[in-house]
Amino acid sequence: MKKRILAVLSLTCLAACLAAPFLHFLGKLSSEVDKQVFLAASVGWFVLAPLWARRR
Amino acid sequence: MTGRLASIASRMDRLYEFDREPVAPDKLQPGGKFAGLFAGEHVAATEFVIGAFFVLHGVTAKDLFIGLLFGNLLAVLSWTFICAPIAVRTRLTLYWYLRKIAGPGLTIVYNLANAVLYCILAGAMIAVSATAVGLAFGIKTPALTAVFPASPGWVLLTVVIGALFTALAILGFEQLSRFAEVCSPWIFIVFIAGGLAVLPRLGVRPGFGNFWQVATTKIWNGLPVAGQDKFGLWHVMFFAWFCNLAMHVGLSDMAVLRYAKKWTYGLFTAFGMYPGHMLAWICSGIMVAGVGREMNPGLMAYEALGLAGVGGLVLAGWTTANPTLYRAGLALQSISPGWPRWKVTLAAGAATTFLSCFPVFFVKLLDYVAIYGLVLMPIGAVVFAEHWIFPRLGIEQYRAEKRGWTFNGPALAIWMGTLAVCFLMPIHLYFRWLPGYLLALVFYVLLGLRRKN
Repeated sequence: MKKRILAVLSLTCLAACLAAPFLHFLGKLSSEVDKQVFLAASVGWFVLAPLWARRR
Repeated sequence: MTGRLASIASRMDRLYEFDREPVAPDKLQPGGKFAGLFAGEHVAATEFVIGAFFVLHGVTAKDLFIGLLFGNLLAVLSWTFICAPIAVRTRLTLYWYLRKIAGPGLTIVYNLANAVLYCILAGAMIAVSATAVGLAFGIKTPALTAVFPASPGWVLLTVVIGALFTALAILGFEQLSRFAEVCSPWIFIVFIAGGLAVLPRLGVRPGFGNFWQVATTKIWNGLPVAGQDKFGLWHVMFFAWFCNLAMHVGLSDMAVLRYAKKWTYGLFTAFGMYPGHMLAWICSGIMVAGVGREMNPGLMAYEALGLAGVGGLVLAGWTTANPTLYRAGLALQSISPGWPRWKVTLAAGAATTFLSCFPVFFVKLLDYVAIYGLVLMPIGAVVFAEHWIFPRLGIEQYRAEKRGWTFNGPALAIWMGTLAVCFLMPIHLYFRWLPGYLLALVFYVLLGLRRKN
């Protein structure tokens, strides 16, 4: 169960890394916000993905 | 001399002992594993530089897309039709197969050449990472014509990063490799996100309606920057093909593909070539256009994605330098009797760090990649001829192993001769390997026939 939650959260962070610049490209996010979201989502990925990988 | 070589060969054999036997049938891996492995392996820090250099060399958008499409296809086909069939039939690494064909002495020389080339490659990765860290300290990225370091700051930066990478490799290669697995999907995202983030700055409208117009006028506009040769379709196609020459035509990926159930698993390299190389090179081209065509990977990543982009570049450099340092260490361990793993990694790391101070390996990366493949390619031709052509012509295979030769003279002559001929060829560096490969193949077979008669 915990493994599945970690997987979902990790992949959500990765998806957010891609979504932020895409939204910036569409004009929905400013460049600054795009960079901040990308950074936050990246931190999330690097915190969660190793935990997920350990349980795989 | 022969005694010394025999002793080195015996030590080297012990190092590679774990993969001496052909892979057992129960150890074969499913195709998905290869797709993941190749997809992760072919997105590295150097991709930031390669895609950007295509822009600087004045490649047009049409030439870029067609060249990458066909060049990467040729690379995939080389893995599938040249490397994978031999790997699947023998189930051996190139090291052990070459030992049967060329003898232990020549295998040592090959390994040492590989070690030096690996160190240079890892040095280039360190230099690319240094451009990112240098931003914070105001250290200028070397000019495109630079050979020697231009400032003490650059030397200090590369030495510190090199020492850090080496220390991390010594402290725990295994753990770091596992962490690198976590990094690779994110690094892939960094390229796509970086390219996307820069598009509005170049004037691409949401919906990509004017993408091609921007691509042809502001990114791949066909105009080389001062001091760079003009590249066309053939340059791009050949570069995409030979970028991993040592791995496919040079056969070093036998180490991976020997675990494949079928030779057709070579087609899984497409996951490394298309979402990997092709997409990453296109994205780094967009990023360099976004910083006014300045070859500065650190600035490109920072302008596109801020601090996370800088982190991405450093991580991309580190995750690829780490296994490269390991491979170089493994190759060097053969000539350092009784040295523990940490000492060998330290030696490889010191050499790599020294080389990374010289910006020439980073600013001439495309040429270096060409030379890297060229140097190791003739050995691939020798193995291919011995494996496929010799039995069909009734020429005895594996004479070095059967007769206990330290050096297979004809193989050594073909290797050195091919390199000499390639050096003298009056064509662009990128195109020399193909005639060189064919020459090596033909002449090695002719030498075999002469011996037979």
